[in-house]
Amino acid sequence: MSEQGETATLTARLLERAAPKRADFEDLVIVPVFAVVVALILGGVAMLATNVDLETIGRSYVALAYGSIGSINALSETITAATPLILAGLGVALGFRAGLFNIGAEGQILMGGMAAVVVGFSFTGLPMLVHLPLALLAGIVAGALYAAIAGWIRAATGAHEVILTIMLNMISYRLVDYMLRMPAIQRPGRSDPISSSVLPTAELPRLLEWLGPNLRLHSGVFLMLAAVLFVYWLLFRSTIGFEFRASGESPEAARFAGMRSGLIIVLVMALGGAFAGLAGANQVLGVLGRASSGFSAGIGFDALAVALLGRSHPFGVVIAGLLFGALEAGGRQMQVDAGVSIDLIGIIQSLIILFIAAPLVVRALFPWGFRKGAPASKE
Amino acid sequence: MEIELRGITKRFGEVVANSDVNLTIRAGEVLGLLGENGAGKSTLMNVLSGLYRPDGGEILIDGKPVQFRGPGDAIRAGIGMVHQHFMLVPVFTVAENVVLGVEPTGPVDFLDLKKARAQVREINETYGLEVDPDEYIENLPVGVQQRVEIIKVLFRSANAIIFDEPTAVLTPQEVTEFFAIVKSLRSAGKAIVFITHKLHEILEVADRISVLREGRIVGEGVPGKTTDLELAEMMVGRPVSFKVDKTPFSPGPVLLDVQHLTVLRENDAVAVNDLTLNVRAGEIVGIAGVQGNGQSELVEALAGVRRVAGGSVMFQGKDITGASARDRHRLGMAHIPEDRQRTGIIAAFTVAENMVLDTYYDSRFSRGLAMDWQAVNQNSAAAAAAFDVRTPSIFEKAGHLSGGNQQKLVVARELNRDTKLLIASQPTRGLDVGSIEYIHKRIVDAREEGDGILIVSSELDEIMSLCDRILVMFKGRIVAEFGAAGRPANKNDIGLAMAGVAA
Amino acid sequence: MKRSLKTWLAATLLATSTLTGFGAAAADFTACEVTDTGGIDDNSFNQTAWKGVQDAQAKLGIKGRYLESQAETDYTANINSLLGQCDLIITVGFLLGDATKAAAEANPNQKFSIVDYAYDPVLPNVAGQVYATDQAAFLAGYLAAGMTKSGSLGVFGGINIPPVTIFMDGFHQGAEYYNKQKGTKVKVLGWDPAKREGLFTNNFDSLDDGRAFAQNLYDEGADIVLPVAGPVGLGSAALANELGVDKLKIIGVDADLYLTDPERKHVYLTSIMKRMDATVMEVIDSAMKGTFKGGVVVGSLSNGGVDLAPLHDMETMVPDELKKELATIRQQIIDGTIKVGN
Repeated sequence: MSEQGETATLTARLLERAAPKRADFEDLVIVPVFAVVVALILGGVAMLATNVDLETIGRSYVALAYGSIGSINALSETITAATPLILAGLGVALGFRAGLFNIGAEGQILMGGMAAVVVGFSFTGLPMLVHLPLALLAGIVAGALYAAIAGWIRAATGAHEVILTIMLNMISYRLVDYMLRMPAIQRPGRSDPISSSVLPTAELPRLLEWLGPNLRLHSGVFLMLAAVLFVYWLLFRSTIGFEFRASGESPEAARFAGMRSGLIIVLVMALGGAFAGLAGANQVLGVLGRASSGFSAGIGFDALAVALLGRSHPFGVVIAGLLFGALEAGGRQMQVDAGVSIDLIGIIQSLIILFIAAPLVVRALFPWGFRKGAPASKE
Repeated sequence: MEIELRGITKRFGEVVANSDVNLTIRAGEVLGLLGENGAGKSTLMNVLSGLYRPDGGEILIDGKPVQFRGPGDAIRAGIGMVHQHFMLVPVFTVAENVVLGVEPTGPVDFLDLKKARAQVREINETYGLEVDPDEYIENLPVGVQQRVEIIKVLFRSANAIIFDEPTAVLTPQEVTEFFAIVKSLRSAGKAIVFITHKLHEILEVADRISVLREGRIVGEGVPGKTTDLELAEMMVGRPVSFKVDKTPFSPGPVLLDVQHLTVLRENDAVAVNDLTLNVRAGEIVGIAGVQGNGQSELVEALAGVRRVAGGSVMFQGKDITGASARDRHRLGMAHIPEDRQRTGIIAAFTVAENMVLDTYYDSRFSRGLAMDWQAVNQNSAAAAAAFDVRTPSIFEKAGHLSGGNQQKLVVARELNRDTKLLIASQPTRGLDVGSIEYIHKRIVDAREEGDGILIVSSELDEIMSLCDRILVMFKGRIVAEFGAAGRPANKNDIGLAMAGVAA
Repeated sequence: MKRSLKTWLAATLLATSTLTGFGAAAADFTACEVTDTGGIDDNSFNQTAWKGVQDAQAKLGIKGRYLESQAETDYTANINSLLGQCDLIITVGFLLGDATKAAAEANPNQKFSIVDYAYDPVLPNVAGQVYATDQAAFLAGYLAAGMTKSGSLGVFGGINIPPVTIFMDGFHQGAEYYNKQKGTKVKVLGWDPAKREGLFTNNFDSLDDGRAFAQNLYDEGADIVLPVAGPVGLGSAALANELGVDKLKIIGVDADLYLTDPERKHVYLTSIMKRMDATVMEVIDSAMKGTFKGGVVVGSLSNGGVDLAPLHDMETMVPDELKKELATIRQQIIDGTIKVGN
């Protein structure tokens, strides 16, 4: 009886969760915050080095803040820019979680966007309730299939997914150029690679048009939020996510536990591609209304940074995506108000990534932000 | 030469790895440093060899305090370390490996290998090491490779040599030869530190013994005066029993029937060659052998994680030759893999997640695609409590657990369900006395419940104390059988069979 | 949130009222340019259009700003972020056509002007600036045909769009005209005016492509190459610089590259100039005077909107007779005797 009681107490004690450790807090909050601060400071130094005076630098950063969060329009632009980054970032993050470095988001965005556009202008007379979901689905499926090619080759032959996805990106650029010249897709009367316009029934409705005609925020943001919740559930609440994470942390242990690594690789790639494809569909149905060569605009590569910065966690990806979206929207304002080159925003983005990737540098720069004695493993 | 560690304290964050450790190492003497895994032995030796800087205390050499800013300083002070994992370049010769990093050069910076070979021969003769300086490392047995490591240390004029778990990779014969080398080093006036958790070895070779537990020196002993039970109690902190109690041998029907099994390595070399064996219910079958004779491949093939090239595997009369790991698992086969860090657990996963690593799909833990974490957590906590997995919480990362607790976690996962056959590869490798005792008890419990058990181990003592039948594997084949129907088990005969000497 | 909304509404209203007000005083007039992905310093139309704004700054005392687009997704956003802050928004390039149209329709009180594009039907608040570039290209084709030693000329474009192919058409036609007059068989590689197909880099920013395409054409025998791809042509110029100007000459487009690319000025036979600075200046001037109206502004040889650049260092190498013929043809195009285009 008493032994049973003892076991029960022990079991109860084992079920207690430890309070979040300070080291976790440092890693998740302090390092990124400092990374952003240092990047902004170094961005200022870079401006100084190119003979920009202090007053202009000050004005630039005020413009950066104003252009990203200072008004409804700024918020709308920030979220509009962040939505595809977050969607594609989720796809990349899924890959990271499963130990796959999917560089192919750019190509998957292109294929997804193309499929969505084709469905978006081809079916006339459909009600929006049917047409829009169909176009979105086309984007998702096209992205998933395109990514699954890399997954399948990786699983079947062991060829590295980085090489595969880079090559598939290359192919997708040319494929899109080719498709945009096909008579069925090319806009009538145009000789340059541009598609017909998406029909209104397949457009993602704008949300704030009643406030102002130039507010571009569209309902893709709801898709994005749903995708974030779905990925969270998938990764942490589903058996598939358990398999993904196990394969990512230790493919050998996962295999020994009876998980089918080949299937997991294909599935992860396909799911990641589905989100990138949705990002592409989001762009053409919500922002551009058509496809032209290079409509992916490097979102697939920024998504890598977003996933990295978000620590491959769906909520982290949201924050990172919003940060990048804010930098993009604010960077525009910076250019308008202070006449500072848009390249500076690229420099600041890169610096943030650099410092996140090298937390030790941040720790060295801001020793007072961290508890003394870097936590290290035992023994 | 005399090295004194005085009040050494080393902390990692909040974890105290060494606390006020005092130790003296003298020329011409073997100091045995005994302790469980995680007791702080490695940390202490890393302080001594300059890898870590202590947070407190000092190191004195011949009475003079010294400061090591890095391993280079320690080497210059005459302290050399032979690591558990050898640091040799397989495609270089012995002489080339020995001089690597401190190459003797002739005029105009020419690599003078002739000189290197001569120096290796000289060291050979002085200490009776018998290593051909021109042989390539990859062609040498493990025991000889270890001697190359020793030559490397001697070549760098070490006066004190630290051996970290030196016998873990050796055959019994090689262990005997190794002890002879240690004795010759001692008589040549070297100071030796011998780190191990194996009691009988330390009793055989050490002059003095210090026992480390939880970062502190908890006791000292002298062979001949102190008994192995006393030492084990110091190590673990409670009385320990070495005897495995089990009921008389009364095997049931054949569970696992392996016929003419052939398994290949990655490079298509034959690892398991036309091997036949069986395991019956209620018996523990042990496979003894020097590592690398096909045991790992055999176990992987039986567990369904390596393809079978020929022959058949039957389980309870059912052909499972081509069955997946999951299918076998569902049939009631359990597998404790050889390399717990790489294939047994996922270090970044929590204890709870590791506890369901191969059962998460089971209706107990998930409904459809949705995991039932509540059930997982309840079950994991109960299993962790039942199998003595010491962790602050089941939400702790498995990688933060000690080796013994990681292994107990694997054992708990594999046995905490309805199993019929357990395949365990090196189930206690690198574990401390307390954990070994516990895991052995659990394995015997499984046998009492009527499970068949197949154990692969390179620890002869483990095989001898646990198993009802012992098979010796050499170059992919079973070359001898002891116990039960075969000859009575005898350490010397088994050792010879392991070395491939036909008996 | 609520407050920022109010502030924003107020700002918008304020901006709109300013815009609908009377012709602004010079110092208050702001002209803004949105570039395409080539950037403000592309040595080509973005830069030339910006020169028009700068000229207006100097001569009319206005304020000027520009926004560079890094990707196609930036076009709309860039235009939007200038709304209400500029009296005139000048978008540069065919590719901004859709975005400009959408913004103009949504903001009927904002004045726009777009370089290299015209709307049909016209929008009341957009002045499209288009150029009869083929007239100048015709002259360049004739000149090149008269100067080639190998009998082959090369041409390649950025993207297969009208503002690019119009150069190629005129160039081709000019060379053909030379053949007809002189009975020669000078070939033009890289463009088939009948099939509307030819060599295109499919971008306006890769200098590497400019080099590679020129190299291909050179390998095929061309000794004079016309790259119609904005800054991509600078790559071609670099190749000509290395090969030597006697082996390969380049014809510049948009601006007089002899002036804008001084490091390699010696490789340019001439340039086909689109004087976007002139038309931009003209539109700004009309907006300030209150005479701005939507429609099309065409730059041609007759009003100086397009022209062939001076020969500069090549002056002595071009035979006087050829120069005379060019002058005649130029006059014939202006008075309509020679019809360029279809």
